[in-house]
Amino acid sequence: MLAQQIFNGLALGMGYALIAVGYSLVFGILRLVNFSHGAIYAFGAEMAMVFIGLNFGIVPGIIASMILTGILGIAIDKIALEPLRKKHSMPIASLITTIGVSNIITNLLIVFLGSEKRNFPQLFNFGSVKIGSVVISSTQIMMCVVSLILMGVLVFIVYKTKIGLAMRASEQNAKAANLMGINVNFVISFTFFLAGMSATIAGALVGGYYQIVYPNMGFMAGLKAFAAAVLGGIGSLPGALLGGLIVGVSESMAASFMGSTYRDSIAFVILIIVLIVRPHGLFGRKGITKV
Amino acid sequence: MKKRILSVVLAGTVVFSGLLTGCGSTEKKTENTATEKTESKGEEKGSEDTIKIAVAGPMTGDNSEYGIGFNNAATMMAEQWNEKGGVLDKEIEIIAYDDKNTSEEATTIAQKIVSDKEAAGVIGHFASGVCMTAAPIYQENGIIEISPSSSHPDYSGIGDYIFRNNTIISKEAAASVDIAVNDLGKKNVGIISIMTDWGTNTSQLIKEMIEEDDSLGATVVAHEEVMEGSDDYTPAITKLNEAGADVIICCGMYNLVAPVAKQAKQINPDVEIVGFSNAYSQQLIELGGEAVEGVCFPVIFFSESDDPEVKEYVDTFTEKYGAAPSALTSQAYDSVGLLLTAIEKAGTTDSEKVKDALYEIEYEGVTGHTKFDENGDVDKEFVKVTIKDGKFVKMD
Amino acid sequence: MNFVHTMETFVEGKKKILLILLAVFLIALPYMLNSQYLVTVAVKIGSYTLLALGLNVLTGYTGLVSLGHAGFVAIGAYTSSLCAVKLGMNFFASMILGMVVAGLAGVLLGLPTMRVTGTYLSIITLGFGEIIKMIAMNWSSVTNGTLGVKNIPRPSIFGYDLTIANNGLYYLMLVLVLITTLFCIAVVKSKTGRAFQAIRADELASTMMGINITSYKILSFVISACICALGGALYASLIGYIDPNTFNFDVSTLILSIVILGGMGTIRGMFVGAAILIAFPEVSRFLMEYRFVLYGVILVLMMRFRPQGIMGWKSTMPYRLSKNVKEQVEKMDKNAPLNLLNETKG
Repeated sequence: MLAQQIFNGLALGMGYALIAVGYSLVFGILRLVNFSHGAIYAFGAEMAMVFIGLNFGIVPGIIASMILTGILGIAIDKIALEPLRKKHSMPIASLITTIGVSNIITNLLIVFLGSEKRNFPQLFNFGSVKIGSVVISSTQIMMCVVSLILMGVLVFIVYKTKIGLAMRASEQNAKAANLMGINVNFVISFTFFLAGMSATIAGALVGGYYQIVYPNMGFMAGLKAFAAAVLGGIGSLPGALLGGLIVGVSESMAASFMGSTYRDSIAFVILIIVLIVRPHGLFGRKGITKV
Repeated sequence: MKKRILSVVLAGTVVFSGLLTGCGSTEKKTENTATEKTESKGEEKGSEDTIKIAVAGPMTGDNSEYGIGFNNAATMMAEQWNEKGGVLDKEIEIIAYDDKNTSEEATTIAQKIVSDKEAAGVIGHFASGVCMTAAPIYQENGIIEISPSSSHPDYSGIGDYIFRNNTIISKEAAASVDIAVNDLGKKNVGIISIMTDWGTNTSQLIKEMIEEDDSLGATVVAHEEVMEGSDDYTPAITKLNEAGADVIICCGMYNLVAPVAKQAKQINPDVEIVGFSNAYSQQLIELGGEAVEGVCFPVIFFSESDDPEVKEYVDTFTEKYGAAPSALTSQAYDSVGLLLTAIEKAGTTDSEKVKDALYEIEYEGVTGHTKFDENGDVDKEFVKVTIKDGKFVKMD
Repeated sequence: MNFVHTMETFVEGKKKILLILLAVFLIALPYMLNSQYLVTVAVKIGSYTLLALGLNVLTGYTGLVSLGHAGFVAIGAYTSSLCAVKLGMNFFASMILGMVVAGLAGVLLGLPTMRVTGTYLSIITLGFGEIIKMIAMNWSSVTNGTLGVKNIPRPSIFGYDLTIANNGLYYLMLVLVLITTLFCIAVVKSKTGRAFQAIRADELASTMMGINITSYKILSFVISACICALGGALYASLIGYIDPNTFNFDVSTLILSIVILGGMGTIRGMFVGAAILIAFPEVSRFLMEYRFVLYGVILVLMMRFRPQGIMGWKSTMPYRLSKNVKEQVEKMDKNAPLNLLNETKG
């Protein structure tokens, strides 16, 4: 029972980790909590469903959705957020903007696709593995594998490529990076693109796991993934992974040992405790204050 | 400077348009109430040539399928009456209100319906809890409410203007238990229920029923409450599975039954799932796919019935809206029919007289013979339905 | 900004007449509306004005962004309605109790400000809101869990029920909003209010000026929490039903949006913000799903073109001196500087 719940939680946590990456990347550069990210995640999942429904096939459908969602991310930045940066508005203006954007995306999805839950095809089906009393389904295994590969790719991009270097430079000091000839606006757009792509993969994986997608799916998942990102130390990729796993496992444990009413909030209890003890999260770096 | 002017203009327009629309609607409202006042001498409701019926339910949000179904069914019934010349020589108009299936929104909606004073009656509110918060407002103001779906025992007791075209939950619960224990022959019952008034009440009833009736020879091995709208039910199902449940009675809508069936089949492929009439919806099959094969539940209305009238209704509905009507939708269809028949019989839209007529009439509808008892409840026969090869069929 | 100046001078000059007109308008409003539904909406706007006034103390004046104010609203609403339903207490007594409990929670939430600042503090408040929701959900022996509290009685004074139908609830709302507004103005103009604004402007500098930042921040949390609890109590008695999901994250963001849209750090903005954001979904019911798309568009456009809020202009009026200072200035010899100059010369 315990081991089973831990495995369930790990699979769930991988999904959160992939969403959390998006929060983490954007927060790292802009110091902005992108509240529209949950809606982007739902958008990615819904679009994947639409493309698969159009006979794209599963993998091309998801890839098409990834590109579309990445473009959506860029569009959000270019249309709504970049003008605010140019005007040097208060940080809270950007925050409210992302809330507004989240409203727009979610409700447009509802208008065009309907608010009901829809069936999402099962992505992986090659039976389940049994270890002792623990049953691990193929979906769960593949969720972990795909997420880990994706994390690896992201780490590679951020730490080994030129654009990654630019991202890290912009994160440390956007002005200085700009002076060094880095096109910071391009870097930010690229970050949004990456965030949108990883959110889509998360959406497809989680959608495939439960075989359900719906426009509001990003609301709670987004908040919890955000908690995961902060928990692990926002701006840090390993932190996002660890945070996601902690949130996933604790959620699964809470749901089975304390009752389902605890599942959505347990992440926040852990979050607050961690923040009070370590104000910058588990892997967060201290001393970066951008005002 | 230019930008500043622009921003001031923008802000100005926002404020102004806000005020304007605000005032606009007030004007309209006062006009309505003004005509209302002159009219109310004759105790007639609605404007001169139409009779308005409000349909309130979740038109958006998680349960929108039900609300939209209510609205479609009501519109169809109204059109049929209009073709025959309407009721009391007036055209019937259906107005939809979206309560998002939340009690909060429902009170506002109820206030709106009540103060517009246009509606001759209200069909709706979907969930029992929502109905029970809105009903006192209708009762206070003497507006008839017929809920096609509420099954909580306390609902119809709120007042004499409050009706329902659905059986009280204890009967349906008994039918579900009967399927699980007698038809499927399973003795270890696990219960999953959603945490709403309806879910808590229903699961409690089932527990008592099984525990008190020794002749069933069954036991409730575990009961898990889950939150409505969460997608992951594996922790609860794992617990039921460990407790040895071989049948799961699932107290929830299709959006609970489908994922529970899927996740339960992954953990234990042999477990049987029993639901309730509110799970009866095409969405259940679309969402559940193969996993919902063999899910059983009792319903009042079954669209594959042989009755020619029902067939005609199902065909028209399917042609019009692209899917066969579900049980609750059909109950909404009959509810409108009931209300209109009562209006015709009373010869007026005065709520008090229509209400009295409602208690008297006997109505033959697609959901069977309907007669309200003194509480405003109905009693109907159940059909046992299961899913086979992606279709709803009668159980043998 | 000539326009603002002319308007402000006009308002300043005709202050009394305008106030009387406003009072007459507000008192006569329910009779002009003549519809229970519209009065309900008006009371709803009033309750959200209270909530916005509460958050404004914290976010507008002290500069701490809270994303979990629904938590305080929930505490106020739950405490007052549970006292009313289970203990049969009077509305006003239970309302005050709700405010006290929320105030204590405010102290609790204020404590992390010692360690955490900026965005991280906002995140903690977000967590706080979710945890309050969790408590409301799970402490079912008291809060009735997810089923919520039903049949919350309407407030009554001396056995006279204040309902929507007899407009009593509307006037109660009016009185509560008036008291709260006056209280907010008093706080803002006091030494405490100046300390709040100093903290918002520059924490380091305010420490240097001898302001105890931590205790003022906590105080700000407490005041804010109490006002929000008041709003919550009113809201609960208006709707007559509450459950944990009444107070979800959307409510927190709605309150914050009202504050920002109206104009952070202004009192006048809260009324306009609440009126627009609450009335908008109601008057645009005919738009169905599109109204929430439009709602998002309004937020985005506002932030793009007028981030200081609709009423968020800087006053062009001269700084008003307090009576005390004025007297001293008048007592002063107008030629004092000249004399001083001559003295030093001599």
